[in-house]
Amino acid sequence: MKSIRKIAERIEAGFAASKVKKYSYHLVEKETRELSAENGEFSLLRTLFDNTVTLSAFVSGKNGVVHGNDFSDEGIDALVKSAVLSAQASVKDTAHDIAPEQEPAKFRQGNLKPDFDRFFERIKELLSDIRTEYPKIQIMNVIGEYVKSHSLLRNSNGVDFEQTAGQYFVILEFAGHEGDKTTSLESASVQIRDLDTRLIDLGSLRYHLDNAQKQLDQIPLSGKFTGSVIFTPELFAEFIGMVARNYISDSVIIDGTSLWKNKLGRKVADDKLTVTLKSHDKRIVIGERYTADGFRTEDLPVIENGVLKNFTIGLYTSRKTKKPVSKNSSMDLVVNPGKTPLEQMIAGVKQGLIVGGFSGGNPGTSGDFSGVAKNSYYVEDGQIKGAVSEVMINGNLGAALKDIRAISSEVLADGGMVVPYVLVDNIVISGK
Amino acid sequence: MLNDILKTRKSLFSDGVQTVLRGQENRNRRVIFLQGNLVGNVRSESRGVCARVCKRGVYGFSSMAEYSRQAADAVLKAATENAMFLDSHAPKGLPDQVSNGTGIVPLHKGIVDFEQKRIIELCKSLDDYIVKTYPDLVSRTVVYTEDSQDKILYTSDAYDGHITNPRCYIYVIMTALSKKDNTPLELYAVFGGSGSLETHFKTIEWMYPGIDALHRKLMDKVDGVYAEAGYKTVILGGPLAGMLAHEAVGHTVEADLVLGGSVAGPNLNKRVASDLVTMVDYANLTPEGEAPLPVYLDDEGQIARDAVLIENGILKGYMHNRESAEKFGVQPTGNARAWDFSDEPLIRMRNTAVLPGTSRLKDMIASIDDGYYLIDTNNGQADLTGEFMFGVTMGYEIKNGKLGKAILDTTVTGIAFDMLKTVDMVSDKVCWNSSGFCGKKQRIPVGLGGPELRCKITIGGR
Repeated sequence: MKSIRKIAERIEAGFAASKVKKYSYHLVEKETRELSAENGEFSLLRTLFDNTVTLSAFVSGKNGVVHGNDFSDEGIDALVKSAVLSAQASVKDTAHDIAPEQEPAKFRQGNLKPDFDRFFERIKELLSDIRTEYPKIQIMNVIGEYVKSHSLLRNSNGVDFEQTAGQYFVILEFAGHEGDKTTSLESASVQIRDLDTRLIDLGSLRYHLDNAQKQLDQIPLSGKFTGSVIFTPELFAEFIGMVARNYISDSVIIDGTSLWKNKLGRKVADDKLTVTLKSHDKRIVIGERYTADGFRTEDLPVIENGVLKNFTIGLYTSRKTKKPVSKNSSMDLVVNPGKTPLEQMIAGVKQGLIVGGFSGGNPGTSGDFSGVAKNSYYVEDGQIKGAVSEVMINGNLGAALKDIRAISSEVLADGGMVVPYVLVDNIVISGK
Repeated sequence: MLNDILKTRKSLFSDGVQTVLRGQENRNRRVIFLQGNLVGNVRSESRGVCARVCKRGVYGFSSMAEYSRQAADAVLKAATENAMFLDSHAPKGLPDQVSNGTGIVPLHKGIVDFEQKRIIELCKSLDDYIVKTYPDLVSRTVVYTEDSQDKILYTSDAYDGHITNPRCYIYVIMTALSKKDNTPLELYAVFGGSGSLETHFKTIEWMYPGIDALHRKLMDKVDGVYAEAGYKTVILGGPLAGMLAHEAVGHTVEADLVLGGSVAGPNLNKRVASDLVTMVDYANLTPEGEAPLPVYLDDEGQIARDAVLIENGILKGYMHNRESAEKFGVQPTGNARAWDFSDEPLIRMRNTAVLPGTSRLKDMIASIDDGYYLIDTNNGQADLTGEFMFGVTMGYEIKNGKLGKAILDTTVTGIAFDMLKTVDMVSDKVCWNSSGFCGKKQRIPVGLGGPELRCKITIGGR
């Protein structure tokens, strides 16, 4: 197989021959070994060899982007030609640009020497541990994956970032099952560097397995009330993702529909909330090292003590709206822990829910959300009363961030994020 | 279109295993105008080859991002080794799957490619029309998206074939400010379907009435009110009935999820809906003609057949791949589908719909004193229990048999097999949607359809 640098030479020769002086491109070679167990039994072993190439060409101030996966000389030449044609067909817009020159860098992250036999044994052990310790769990899928990638981003300004990275992923899908009773689907995942620890002890695997068993016995909840909700770390991360999309991302900043478009440096959340895209945090197994636009990645404070510090926008939006570009395009999310132990947080709930999942419509730019509280428990006078289903929660993303009453001292670190439990007041809760 | 370079590789299939070799190219074309700015101008192509080998009940799979005979040889070897590894380390020891016939399925539809320039001009002219015609919008977006799959399949003991699935759509997204508090409110409409740009977008004028209807609904929504939360009598519009067929019922009757413990398992041949409800996953032909996204041959080389899921309220069957059909002792339905060349086939829906009834929409509205007519949805989810959720982006109050104010975005939920028993009127027209993807490890294009349904459901609100 040809080296990634040789392919880079071919691309640049192609652009030179087409008289394209401004361009950027990204090459990725990826090898995946993936083991699947369906319904508790090993069923599939996959080996995948994949490539991706993205070319962005500029012709007379017009930009075209093409994606492909053919690294042969003919494939690369055809893609360069397609990028040039695409740019020629485009509309002139000076906001399209590439990152300025920066110091070239090479990055190595994670585990580059996998031990597949040991990984197989660890997954076998996980299946056995679940069968022994959680007899009411029906495992639907366990996927164990080792992914190794080698990538190169270069542009005509002299940017040159090369990365080699490897990590294991474990993804579980399961439900509680007893007789004819089945719970909602639960899932849990972790990203790991090494295989030193039993998989069942990692991330939130035990929490979710335990939860699925408890969900088999449900209590009814009827009526409507305004109460408190404890968001689990995974769910709070999902809500932060919705906040980012609806208030601080490219499309809502460009079209001006973001309700936070003028809130940079102003208060948008409770003082206790600090949210950072922290790609260099050691608890993130493979953090982003360069952005999609070609900037070297920096840790990016998004909300600091309740104050909006940065939008999460790319170079095009930045130039279009004259707002600072985000030098982090990841979701390497770190939310600072608070001072309240989870147990104390639950004790402080007069009436509300602990919510582990949200099945809802995509909130619009108003931030209004409405959906089913999945994998949830009813809490009254500080006591967990039981698992519930068919309960809806309704509120507004922006308002919810201001109504944060407590953040837990415990955090979930699953290799991809570090997030605590968060208690939010004034959520409308309705049962059947 | 892919050239067939794989036929000769069939001689390399190993004895004592069951093999599928697939060459595939996926294409995508995407153009986005946001507020008149061309923010997306992308063409993508991915091409490769994969092999899946079954040895005594366990599978090996391998793929390579290269469409060549050498790559085919390499993935056949790697997939065979993977199957051997599992057979020796975690044996199932099952007998070979029974062959359901062999043969060749010919190509049904070609793929036509167009220059990016034409796509950009098409979107620009539509954007110009929208900005000129609707000055009261605060934001507008026009998205052209086209995806196609081109596959060549060779099997050891099933059908071989050349399969294509081209489709293209234009999304028009409009945003206006609510009169009450100036918050932005959004609605979208989709135009297009199976085929190419030339099939659907030779002209743009035919979309004007649909765009006008979208604008009228958005103007109603700016005066909208929150729905009142609770258990209500509603009419689910066709898009929501289609979502119900796909999300709330369809997933629970995919045979792999039945084996995983879904609520459909213990309910086979039992009543799960009122007798007005019949639901089918069509392969390629519906009573109205060709299905929105026709599937003739699946990615295991099985001929695609309709799967009757619910008939007059009784749960009649599941959707199968080859392995699950054998477990349940039925014929495969040809539901094993893969999205990318590097994806293994999974049990997926094709064109899933609730069948029409005999009621007229206006009579259904007139029959409700206090409820809602829920028209459009932007997403839906369900789980093994049949508990579902659909986002509702457009709807109206119904008061004393007449439509009232528009409602703001909300969500509806229920348990499918409970809610379907409350269906007491079914309209006579089916509305299909085929622009979306279903996500289940991989994404896959699906069609979903349904008539209006009068039923009881839990609606979220303030």
